[in-house]
Amino acid sequence: MTMEKMRRIRQGELSAAENLSGMLDRIKKLDGEIRAFIELNPNAPAEAERIDRRIQKGERVGKLAGLVIGIKSNINVFGLRATCASRTLENYISPYDAEVVRRIRAEDGIIVGMTNMDEFACGSSGETSAFGPTDNPAARGFIPGGSSSGSAAAVAAGFCDLSLGSDTGGSIRNPASHCGVVGLKPTYGLVPRQGLIDLGMSLDQIGPFSPDVSGVALMSEVICGRSENECAMLDAEKPEYLNNLEGGIKGLKVGISPKFAELTDSRIMDVVDAAVEKLEDLGAEVIEVDLPNLERALSAYYLIVSVEFFSATRKFDGRKYGKKIEEVCGEEVLRRIIRGSYISRKEHRGRFYQRALQVRTLIRQELLAAVDKVDVLVGPTVPKLPHRLGEKISVSDMYAYDYLTVPANLAGICAGVVRAGDVNGIPVGVQIQGKILGELKVLRAMKALEEAG
Amino acid sequence: MKVKIGFEIHLQLATDRKMYCNCPTNYQEAKPNTNICPICTGTPGAKPLPPNESAINSAIEIALMLGCRVHSGEVIYIQRKHYDYPDLPSGYQRTSLPISSGGELEGVRIRELHFEEDPGQYDPVSGTVDFNRSGVPLVEIVTEPDIESPEHARRFLRSLMRALEYTGKVRPEAGGAMRADVNISVEGGGRVEIKNINSVRGAYRALKYEIMRQGKMFRRGESVVRETRAYLESQMVTVPMRTKETEEDYRYIPDPDIYPIIIEKSKVDEIRSKMPEPPIMREKRLSQQYGIPSNVAEVISSERELADLYEAVAIKVDPGLAATWFRTKLKKIMNYMGIRAVDLKFTPDQLAKVLNMVQSEKLTPEQGELVLRELARNPDEPERIVKRLGLAPVGENELRAEVERVIAENGRAVQDYISGKDEALNFLTGKVLKAVKGRADPRVVGEMIKKALDRV
Repeated sequence: MTMEKMRRIRQGELSAAENLSGMLDRIKKLDGEIRAFIELNPNAPAEAERIDRRIQKGERVGKLAGLVIGIKSNINVFGLRATCASRTLENYISPYDAEVVRRIRAEDGIIVGMTNMDEFACGSSGETSAFGPTDNPAARGFIPGGSSSGSAAAVAAGFCDLSLGSDTGGSIRNPASHCGVVGLKPTYGLVPRQGLIDLGMSLDQIGPFSPDVSGVALMSEVICGRSENECAMLDAEKPEYLNNLEGGIKGLKVGISPKFAELTDSRIMDVVDAAVEKLEDLGAEVIEVDLPNLERALSAYYLIVSVEFFSATRKFDGRKYGKKIEEVCGEEVLRRIIRGSYISRKEHRGRFYQRALQVRTLIRQELLAAVDKVDVLVGPTVPKLPHRLGEKISVSDMYAYDYLTVPANLAGICAGVVRAGDVNGIPVGVQIQGKILGELKVLRAMKALEEAG
Repeated sequence: MKVKIGFEIHLQLATDRKMYCNCPTNYQEAKPNTNICPICTGTPGAKPLPPNESAINSAIEIALMLGCRVHSGEVIYIQRKHYDYPDLPSGYQRTSLPISSGGELEGVRIRELHFEEDPGQYDPVSGTVDFNRSGVPLVEIVTEPDIESPEHARRFLRSLMRALEYTGKVRPEAGGAMRADVNISVEGGGRVEIKNINSVRGAYRALKYEIMRQGKMFRRGESVVRETRAYLESQMVTVPMRTKETEEDYRYIPDPDIYPIIIEKSKVDEIRSKMPEPPIMREKRLSQQYGIPSNVAEVISSERELADLYEAVAIKVDPGLAATWFRTKLKKIMNYMGIRAVDLKFTPDQLAKVLNMVQSEKLTPEQGELVLRELARNPDEPERIVKRLGLAPVGENELRAEVERVIAENGRAVQDYISGKDEALNFLTGKVLKAVKGRADPRVVGEMIKKALDRV
């Protein structure tokens, strides 16, 4: 799908301007209800025309030439508002491009707008945005998942070809699963975070959404790889995924864990089990691995993310951006700030935060040992089906959506999600976790499942 | 009354670039908010660059200068210290864990040394912040409470500043770049911390005041409780700070955006091999090598450039004569002109020539001083200066004629001298010197007058 469109644009069968205007028409018609975007880029049509002129002249164009791209509202795009879907930053216009945006522009992608999200990426449902909740285009009336709700929904609704989200504890994978699109959380440190507004800095990672695996591979090639301008990054070459996706999965070692079924709705497990069988049919070797402490990841995650978020939000003190975060933010953001402030107090040193870091080390060791034995781990993404928009659920029920996605962030490994089926018409994505820098094998397994249908 | 004093001293490192971004550090010269970028203003989403290596190298050199052990091979985290103030763009300051510990200076043990970043500058009157200073690298030196008096504190700080100036890696004190917090406990009382000290003199005065204040409280039977006070430079007193400012919890966490650093031992060895001789060692060596008194060696080694100049001159002239001239005449001229050794533009050769002229009595010491002063103002070859100032000594015949003339014209003074008033000789000598415009040695003139009058 993505590759076909790329080809048509390059060969002049479809102009970038036509592609964009098609998208804008759909947005105009449907986004009033979906609410995938917070703001559109007024310069996009001019950018599209510029690319068309270059294609007409036969000039070299970048990998993303003419493709329409949505950017999550916590990533800085020069001249557009990076609101983080919060009143705190509702008037914050980015004075610079994030490094990933620079890379997208260098490959001639057209940024169509800033997508909706859970406020400051604090949420798993897409409902905590100050600009209103996003609907799920693939299962209307249900939550799209979060926090990259708008980025997933925009791709699912055909508002853009590709989009960027960020994933701190599942924020790409969870909405990819609920919206039935493909998403990838790359290895921590493989994608520059320069320009990504913080949630939990030791966990945050930018990653792509696409309707198909090729699109995710394409966008990953563009955004991955070392940056001189960043400290906490891996010294990794720019990867080549797109030309290495084929080749099948014969002999691929696929890990599964009985832990998954313990934590997950059986209807979802049925979809996951069927996917594992397909992989086995395609020649993969299925191996059971042990993840004895997997469920402990969740509470450790929420302690760590709260402390880091507390630290990150100290700059929103009301002096520079007009509004003090605690005075205008929603409940969940405030809850995390207060929790982070409380557990990082001096008198609590060694109790909560330190313990959480110890659990993190344990989970990391456990997961790294598991993926060391196999090539990929295949399991569910979200342990339960999404609730209906507006339905009240408890804080702990909300956090429980993240049981299976936070371990990959704590361990720093990569993980992708691809649609594997549905339950009562609600898409269910299977999660494929890989080794550190194991993106290619993850993408190949995803591709195999996609092709198997 | 036993007193224990310890310091926490912040100094700006003299790097071109800031600690975590590439903005220039010349904040004093730049217009407000021109040396800034998303990183040093804490713009949402901005991430720090890797820590400025030259700042870390400078901190290592300073640590070595103070005889500290550098924590090479160890994982050193950079932490976030949270507090809320308008000049702090992110709401936290980045501060490293100790990079070294265990040095000693003037009998004061150095507990540890680490690097930090400066916040911006807040003007409470206009309510504006200038972020040009935000992110400028700092080093913090923490001592044990080994200092026993304000005088000891002053000696320690002077010695410390001298050692730091030797490295050339800190901004000079004149720029207001030193900031110190001092802890003082007087026997029987609680520990008092004094903030807002900006100079060696300020530290001395604050301590003097604080000891007096606590002494008075003791005599009145009051107890001194643990508290934090601020030094008010203008009034030379310390005042209590609000408790809110002192009971802050900084909620330290390792900065997740910066990988911890590890200092390689080879890097430490390299810095050690290139760094200047520490001033205390140099002082001792100068005294021994050139056979000069230790107090003179101390003056000469007060500035690295002065000691360098001395050693370059001492191989060309009598080191003893040179030392005396450095301690007295050269220092006097520098003080008068308000300059430091680094500002002296003449060559060691030129200075050596002047000293040689004095030693060979081509110039009187007074004339030599005139030449030296001119040399400091407008460097030139000493011969030319001598000529320009008309200092070539007068010929013996001319001088004798002047002596005869002065004796003839000042009968009264001559009478006084003969009747035993020795001051009269000085008066006459002065007359002669004035007549020859100082181009003669007063001692020689005196002798000539004496001889002439003795004949009478």
